[in-house]
Amino acid sequence: MVNIQKLRFFDCNCSVGRVAYPHLSDIPDVEGLLKEMGRAGIEEAMVYHTVARYGHPPAGNALLTEAIKNNPRLHPVWVLLPHHTGEMPHPGRLLPEMEKHHVGAARLYPGANYHNFSLSEWCSGELLGALEEAHIPLIVDMDTVSWEDVYKILDNHKQLPVITATCTYRNNRYIYPLLEKYDNLFVELSRFMGAGTIEDMVERFGSHHLLFGTNMPQYTGTAAVSLLTYSAIDRTAKQAIAGENLGNLLKEAWK
Amino acid sequence: MTTYFDLIHGGIPLSGVEIIDLHAHLGPARFMHIPANDPAGMIEAMDLCGIDKTVVSTTVGIDADIVLGNNSMLEAVRSYRGRLYGACMVNGHYPELSLDELHRCFSEEKDVKMVKVHPFSTFCNIKDSRMKGIFRFASDRRLVVLVHTWLDNDLYGNQDIFAEIARDYPDIQWIMGHSGGPYGSQHAVELAQKSDNILLDTTLSMTPAGQIEFFVSEIGSERVIFGTDNPFLNPRPQIGRIGLADISQRDRVNIFSGNAHRLIDFSGSA
Repeated sequence: MVNIQKLRFFDCNCSVGRVAYPHLSDIPDVEGLLKEMGRAGIEEAMVYHTVARYGHPPAGNALLTEAIKNNPRLHPVWVLLPHHTGEMPHPGRLLPEMEKHHVGAARLYPGANYHNFSLSEWCSGELLGALEEAHIPLIVDMDTVSWEDVYKILDNHKQLPVITATCTYRNNRYIYPLLEKYDNLFVELSRFMGAGTIEDMVERFGSHHLLFGTNMPQYTGTAAVSLLTYSAIDRTAKQAIAGENLGNLLKEAWK
Repeated sequence: MTTYFDLIHGGIPLSGVEIIDLHAHLGPARFMHIPANDPAGMIEAMDLCGIDKTVVSTTVGIDADIVLGNNSMLEAVRSYRGRLYGACMVNGHYPELSLDELHRCFSEEKDVKMVKVHPFSTFCNIKDSRMKGIFRFASDRRLVVLVHTWLDNDLYGNQDIFAEIARDYPDIQWIMGHSGGPYGSQHAVELAQKSDNILLDTTLSMTPAGQIEFFVSEIGSERVIFGTDNPFLNPRPQIGRIGLADISQRDRVNIFSGNAHRLIDFSGSA
């Protein structure tokens, strides 16, 4: 019998809800997500609703609130829009609403195929500034924003934690120079799969910039788990990446 | 009793099962920095996650020069006997050179076991007439040919083209590399159900939930091949995907190495 000390996993990149173009499986509900989490051995997750991403954010955020209520393992992430069109309140009213619903992080989908707005200051500056002031982590999906966008946010809002989700294994020539300059960048690992990359980044930058994520239920969580558990870094670093780093970010929120 | 769940969560190589990776590479790549891209780095990663044997084709052979790539492959195979094996890289734009390379690699080195074709990187359609000599070589020797495939946006080696060529050469065992990518699972199964010599490959960075279970239920675990893309991709995630999939232990063993042994004779190589 081998004595196993299991890491405690806190996933920063999950969703609930149906998508129009699934990879394979139809797993639209909370029960399906929890089953996937159970198979992979993942304790908690930050969750957004697919309707908030692929449809309309206010509607999706409301669906999320209903879907994950009474689930202490799932924590809400809202997808936001700048307030100018009136679809979402001004940040001065939006953030209290988010706090009331215990929203731990925000997502933005500015791309032309998504919500079609600019991340530049003239459009999103007030919203980004409000998130920064409240220490609410911003999650951006690297399928939908450019590294130039990420650079501008990091540079304009140095106290705003920016989590780049679904980074691919091909992104490290962007990430390294940003990590050299900005302490508020955090990298989600579900697709960050270059051989030796985790070890190299921990050696160069420390473990606190890396966050465990899976993109469940579109992806299985099992791959992301073994990516981390078999990494050649010490247990302290593994536990930090598995969940402590995310937990520390969330502790700072709403202070 | 220690389960695979325990071992994977403990970062301990799986016990009681051999793991053979039939889809791997070697060397740096132009797209990104790969810290552990050399043979020693690959072996270290294999040891950490319990991969016993790996069949490699080099990235430079895929993206630039097949001779240079095959030279690196041969050097790696000879440096790590019993751990690294070779896949000879060919390119239809160089039909005579490719044949020369096949003869050289397979005659000079017993641990060259497969042929690797990358239509997407070489922009040479797998049905291009210049590929015929290459495939005759493989067919005459009943070799295993690994082809990069994708569901769509690939004019040179998408799943349908791959399936056509697989039907044309029934004596070749064809591995559908990446099984057509993250959205290709359904079509991969449809094509594999029509051709017994098509095998599906688990190698992917985008890892659809339920894919392994779907493959096993639709075509049987005997035709699902374990691959990682190491070092282009980190091999570690693939251990969790297979090790924690909702399939039987017999299916798991088939995927991890049983099928590789049925396809390729690794005896006398260690």
